[in-house]
Amino acid sequence: MLPLALLSAAQGKPMLVELKNGVTFNGHLVDCDNFMNVTLREVYQTSADGERFWKMKEMFIKGNVIKYFRIADAILDQAAEEQEKNRALGRQRGGGRGGRGGGMPGRGGRGGPPRGGQAGRGRGGPGMRGARGGAGAGGPGAGPRQA
Amino acid sequence: MAALDGFRDQLVQVVLYDGRVIVGKLKGNDNFCNLILSDSVEREYSSDKGVEMIPLGLYMIKGDNIALIGQVDEDKDGSLDYSEVMAEPLAEIRY
Amino acid sequence: MLIFSFFKTLTDQVITVELKNDLCITGTLKSVDQFLNIRLDGIRVEDPERHPHMLAVKNVFIRGSVVRYVRMAARAVDTTLLEDATRREAHNTGK
Repeated sequence: MLPLALLSAAQGKPMLVELKNGVTFNGHLVDCDNFMNVTLREVYQTSADGERFWKMKEMFIKGNVIKYFRIADAILDQAAEEQEKNRALGRQRGGGRGGRGGGMPGRGGRGGPPRGGQAGRGRGGPGMRGARGGAGAGGPGAGPRQA
Repeated sequence: MAALDGFRDQLVQVVLYDGRVIVGKLKGNDNFCNLILSDSVEREYSSDKGVEMIPLGLYMIKGDNIALIGQVDEDKDGSLDYSEVMAEPLAEIRY
Repeated sequence: MLIFSFFKTLTDQVITVELKNDLCITGTLKSVDQFLNIRLDGIRVEDPERHPHMLAVKNVFIRGSVVRYVRMAARAVDTTLLEDATRREAHNTGK
């Protein structure tokens, strides 16, 4: 399975994100894109030394500063099931890969489905809302941008 | 990454840039060397006591902070008594 | 591209890779890619006392970006061929 497929299957689910500088974020995944940029909501930020904490409503993390994601075990099976379902759908439709992605409501809206071509575009990327939310929260706004 | 094909669904040991060692089952990877590891365990080495095993669960590690991916010989791994193995943690990658 | 091709000529030779965390790994070169990522089989670590971290690992995939040096036997290198290839490369890139 592709890491991106796992990440998009984790949408709406809780996860932990650690940045390269050691800062961690606990929250629910709102959205992600092909660069693994993510938006999280109801976030608890922990400083690299584990001594300080912040809470944020919603935030955006640029993919290239992330070290790893820690995801609930159940998501792996769920992602595999979803992949299998999509594969079966693809077979039924006679190999209609890519191309049609945007036209199918069920599959289209979710950011990066495993093979849905251009799908996640409609939402304009996960970024903007979260970025503003982070700044609004005050103190920790600069957190995810170090390093 | 074709060189990793043989490691799929096998027990692998990943060494990160910061020197951490994580062992888990390789469930997936892509061209950027991003990895999915299931049932992963961090092995924390220290010079004054045996290796500490810290269960981490499902991890997705981004390729840019991976130094090395090793295929674990499970028989050999099972025969080693890690509570007796003492060593400094691996150094971080210095540029 | 020259270095990539050079490493490809070393396939199935035993080489030692020194990493930027001071780990030295010896093994048989199985493959190399455009990023100079290296696949080594049947590995052993120099000074396993200090670095027991890889004891249970048999095959490794090393990210090209963490390699500091690669050591190989002098006889594994066809120097004249390499010199020719270098001149050819310099000639081609000059244009």
